[in-house]
Amino acid sequence: SSHEHKLNFRKSKEACLSYIQDALLQKQWKRAAEFLTCYVESLEKDYSREHIGPSEMIWRIGTEILWHHSQSSMKEFNCFMEQMKTLGVKRYLKVCLEHVFHLLCNGQIDEAYQNLSLAESWRFGEQTAIQDKEMKLIEAYRGLLDYYSWSKQKNILLEHSEDGFSDLAVEQEMHSYFRKAAVNLKEIIKIPGVWDVFVKCYVDLLEFYGDHNEARQVLNEYAYNSKFPANPNAHVYLYQFLKRQGESKKSLISALKILHDIVPSHELMIDFNTMLQKSKKRKKRRLGLEVIFAALDYAGWKENAKAWSCLARQVKQIVTSEKHLDWIKQEWNSRKDWWPAFHFSRYLAKRNWQENRSLSYEKALVAGILLGKDCKYFKYVSHQGCKAQLKRFRMLKKFVNRHNPVYLRISG
Amino acid sequence: MEFPAALFPSYFGAGPPREEGGPAPVAGWGEHGQVLEGGPGRRQAQPAFVPRRGATGEKWEAADAAAVPVLLPSAGCWIPSPAPQDILYRGGLCRKLQAGKSGATLDFARQLGHFFVDHPEDAFGSLGQLLHKNFYLGNSKLKVTLSRNSTIRMTALVEDIDRLEARRGCPRQHLASRLRWFSHLCRDWLFEVPLGLLADCLHEELMQQWSSLLFDDSLTGGALAWLPPEDGGTPVGRLVHPGGQAMNHLYFQDVVLEELPRARGSPAQFELSGRVRQVAAARVDGEDFVGVRSDYHCGVWRVPGRTGAAPTPLQVIRTDVPASCLTVSPHLPGELSVCTQSGTVYLWSVETGLQQLRHDPQTMFFRDHSPWRWSDFTAHPRVLSCADRTGLQCLDARAPKKCHFDLFKVGEEAGCQQGERVVLPMYLGRAHPSQYLVTTQFSVYVLDERLPLVPVLKWAHMMKAPPLFAHLMPGNSGRSHQVLLGASRTQELLLLQYRGGSQSACQLAGTPQKLQSIVGCLQHLPTQLPHRQHLLKQRLAAPAAGLAATLQEDGPHKSMLVFQLSEAGDVFCQRLTHKAAQPPAPPSRDEATIAPGSSPLFEAPASSPQGLGAAAVRYRRWLRALSRACREHPRHTWHPSLSQRRLFTRRDLEGPAGPSSLQRQMRQRLRQAMQEGGRIQHWEPLAVQPPPLPQTLEPAGGPDPLSARLTAAWAGDWEQWWEERTSFSVAQRQRALRERRRRQKRARGRRSLSASFTSSLTYQSELSELSDAGHPPILSQEGSPVAGSPTVRSPPTSPAPDEALLSSQSLRCRGIPKERRKTLRDYLSVWAEGPPEPPEPPGSQASQLCIPSSQSQLSSASQPRRKRPRMGF
Repeated sequence: SSHEHKLNFRKSKEACLSYIQDALLQKQWKRAAEFLTCYVESLEKDYSREHIGPSEMIWRIGTEILWHHSQSSMKEFNCFMEQMKTLGVKRYLKVCLEHVFHLLCNGQIDEAYQNLSLAESWRFGEQTAIQDKEMKLIEAYRGLLDYYSWSKQKNILLEHSEDGFSDLAVEQEMHSYFRKAAVNLKEIIKIPGVWDVFVKCYVDLLEFYGDHNEARQVLNEYAYNSKFPANPNAHVYLYQFLKRQGESKKSLISALKILHDIVPSHELMIDFNTMLQKSKKRKKRRLGLEVIFAALDYAGWKENAKAWSCLARQVKQIVTSEKHLDWIKQEWNSRKDWWPAFHFSRYLAKRNWQENRSLSYEKALVAGILLGKDCKYFKYVSHQGCKAQLKRFRMLKKFVNRHNPVYLRISG
Repeated sequence: MEFPAALFPSYFGAGPPREEGGPAPVAGWGEHGQVLEGGPGRRQAQPAFVPRRGATGEKWEAADAAAVPVLLPSAGCWIPSPAPQDILYRGGLCRKLQAGKSGATLDFARQLGHFFVDHPEDAFGSLGQLLHKNFYLGNSKLKVTLSRNSTIRMTALVEDIDRLEARRGCPRQHLASRLRWFSHLCRDWLFEVPLGLLADCLHEELMQQWSSLLFDDSLTGGALAWLPPEDGGTPVGRLVHPGGQAMNHLYFQDVVLEELPRARGSPAQFELSGRVRQVAAARVDGEDFVGVRSDYHCGVWRVPGRTGAAPTPLQVIRTDVPASCLTVSPHLPGELSVCTQSGTVYLWSVETGLQQLRHDPQTMFFRDHSPWRWSDFTAHPRVLSCADRTGLQCLDARAPKKCHFDLFKVGEEAGCQQGERVVLPMYLGRAHPSQYLVTTQFSVYVLDERLPLVPVLKWAHMMKAPPLFAHLMPGNSGRSHQVLLGASRTQELLLLQYRGGSQSACQLAGTPQKLQSIVGCLQHLPTQLPHRQHLLKQRLAAPAAGLAATLQEDGPHKSMLVFQLSEAGDVFCQRLTHKAAQPPAPPSRDEATIAPGSSPLFEAPASSPQGLGAAAVRYRRWLRALSRACREHPRHTWHPSLSQRRLFTRRDLEGPAGPSSLQRQMRQRLRQAMQEGGRIQHWEPLAVQPPPLPQTLEPAGGPDPLSARLTAAWAGDWEQWWEERTSFSVAQRQRALRERRRRQKRARGRRSLSASFTSSLTYQSELSELSDAGHPPILSQEGSPVAGSPTVRSPPTSPAPDEALLSSQSLRCRGIPKERRKTLRDYLSVWAEGPPEPPEPPGSQASQLCIPSSQSQLSSASQPRRKRPRMGF
């Protein structure tokens, strides 16, 4: 009966698919390709209601095979993609995008640009939400390529101007690239998302043309709009922009303060700490101590000599001045039950000493102040240092011994 | 900790997932996802783009055609857990039903039959004894005597039953009129437990078994751990794995890494009082900490770094609700996190004990019925992630109520599909301190906690079963990280590679690669006798239970060893060798399909002088050991016989502390009476107080029938009691029991200890104990942290002693079979209801509850019994 036939057909289709899958997962591209040629038949009687139909499967599998198959060429790939685009209206934009990505990764920027322009002009009835998003992406990527052309022209122009003559045609071309790029880039970064590349390029364009207000607004929006994800890069871009603009310390600090609140382990925290340490205000220096302590809480900073030296410097400063010991005490309170095991174990002392002496020096200083001169870490490192007759370490021992009462005050 | 200067573009939306879900067989292929300009300083020339997926990765090739056993099979045959065919209905009706939409049909009748056969005492105990005079089981004709009128010949009935069995599914079943007549007559009174009630419970249990067959999340995380050798040391690592027939032994096996890893010496072995579900390990300060989770106990061991040092058990905790997760901190020695199915997350420190971080029986982001919870560590040693099926949150242990943020949500934020659920989260700290892996049944995500909610990597893994196990092998110095995903039921193993996270954005590298599963070696093995072949297949196809792997670098040669554990306790291993990046190689061996029987494994390689490869030798030995182990099999198929003497040892019957003077007195009387063969007419000891003797059976609220019967039996007027009981209308009895059951369900918890079901139904009361919301300490940590002596415990403070003694949990721990627990409990409750005594703390008995127990508590008679799934599956 026809029902049975349909059922059998489905079964053999599934079997074929599982063979293909197996071959792909074992990187047997040739075998997969052979099975795929059989699987193409499934297009003829496509009764499936699954959300990935046979045509999409053929696109995906075919693409994957052509990426890896030893005998495939870019020409074949392009040809296959063109066919796939005609296979499903709903997927047209997606296939276009993927095609463009592949061209871009293979350095065929111009072909990619053509494909993007073509896809941009494609219209078919009413667009679904997903298609709408894909269209926006296509436009954005075209904007990005326009930006790259712009920057190329800009460089040519800059070189020329060094030589002392200006090229009006190049300049005009550059401006037209700017307009095309700016329009598309501006659109996508209004939608919530992660648009690091697009934002960076757009801001670069704006800055070049001196539209700093717009640039600032874009960056503020990207960093502070709550509909966007909490992307640390958004804050970094804003900070870098403010720095380029020569903004006041205050606004730089406030930008970094927000970054500190969302990502206390960000690498800019070193800069932040240095900036705060230099400040004359007590509150800021206090914040600096907080920042560096918080950064060192994270496993990723454990062996960061720079961060440890920041902390060591500030702690040393506080201890010698004997002012604000309560700051250290407060920071230490929430850490004293786990920092010793996390940072100052004997095992780490040994390893740090072997691997990075200056790190072990800074850490030993902090350990000696926070945990006293009997702390395992300090004892081991200072002992090794004195044994190796390093003057630095002898000074360190003296310093810690002299300030041992501080430890009692901090821990008490 | 650098953050990538630019991330791949992506949309960000909030709310429930919009994309329609469903398993998609090829969804992971053919997509680059997004591209990003890669490599700085290229502004001058054309920009170079890198894809999110599809960049070239490392090339790994299998060294052998199949996975090879690492350890010899343990003695004693493995008892497979119930398979679908055990509980599904087979027969003519089945096909008809399955064609429709109803799905699986559970074979209810067969299971009920099993119950009657396996537990006849519980099913028909009293009636059987009463009626045995009236049933004649011989073959000869009944003599015409006085008994003729009141005795029936059962042989004919048995024959009828056999015949019925033979034509199962036959529509003309009404021919067995005699059976129908018999069952019609005795349906209402023959059974110890009213049939309807029994059926309810059985059905519930069947459903539970079926759902755990469909997806068993208790294995999440896997029960296999590899403790790598110390840097620069000898290449001897340790494999930590469960074993034994009930998977309740923990082994620490030294393994030498050679061409094929080889076990060295005999393993350190610990016997635990529960099936090992998960083994987790982390190395802190050169020492390995191994956490072991079974349903109601979690334990932690310390393994010193130097080879040959013995593992020391550190501490054990007991949970009232099954634990669903145990992870070991990679930051601080002796810290673990524990989750229970009641929705509680604890930070467990060997030094300071347990700290409850969260208690919320509800799921986090939307409602989901699963009680599964998970927790792991993050880049900050004081911040823990906790997960349920709907997503992940990070909590600060110093202020868990106030400081938390959402790390992952099943929703539009991560571009999830409808119906997608978190299966396994894992901290990827060794690859990058702030990275996290989350697997769902459809996809695998890599998250960066500095950019919560937005996955930095997402890929549809296309695995047939959800990945319950994952293993990370960090690639140092800019190389790509290797992630292994493993599924349980299908034994699938998938190798993924990714890189980035600090200087550059995360990228999936290379194509995913399927590794060999244990069952895959079957086609390479020499053909066996059919029944052996069947056993072998069953053994090899057992669901996977764990996954571990290690990278081995030997000069320019790099290889990866992947260990896979099966539920049968077998550990198989495969070696992958690294191929230096090169242009697509010409089709190699792997392109050729391997015909079954003609395996390269068993072909003689030219290099080997013995004529056989090491792998083949390994297989030979393994197969021999397996057949030896299984020859003992018939011994285990017998029903275990229970001798009365071993049922309750004296220690079992003893109270937690020494008995009170009253109890001693009573016991003495009892003993005396038993010696004399006499009986005790009155229980009251020298007129202290009226005894709590149950009088007659009351519709509701009275003592349960079993204790009533027991008491009556003790008092010697059992016959009379029986008369009363039978005169009681059955319908009324049922109603009374139902009513009581409902009340118990409502009250839950403690009352259920004196539940009125007979012993076979105790699991019902266990269930209500599990879901007991009223227990104040959900997870009571027992014992002060005395390092190195885990069995020394301080007495638990809260529960009353008799309660602790009576709980089915503790009874089980003493190895008292389920069928007897109820009896024992009722017997003891007579004591407990005696004149009030000052509660005495339980003595050293409590120490038996901890995991690293010695053999002594498990009565050998009950052991094989206990492993059988409930209700005679």
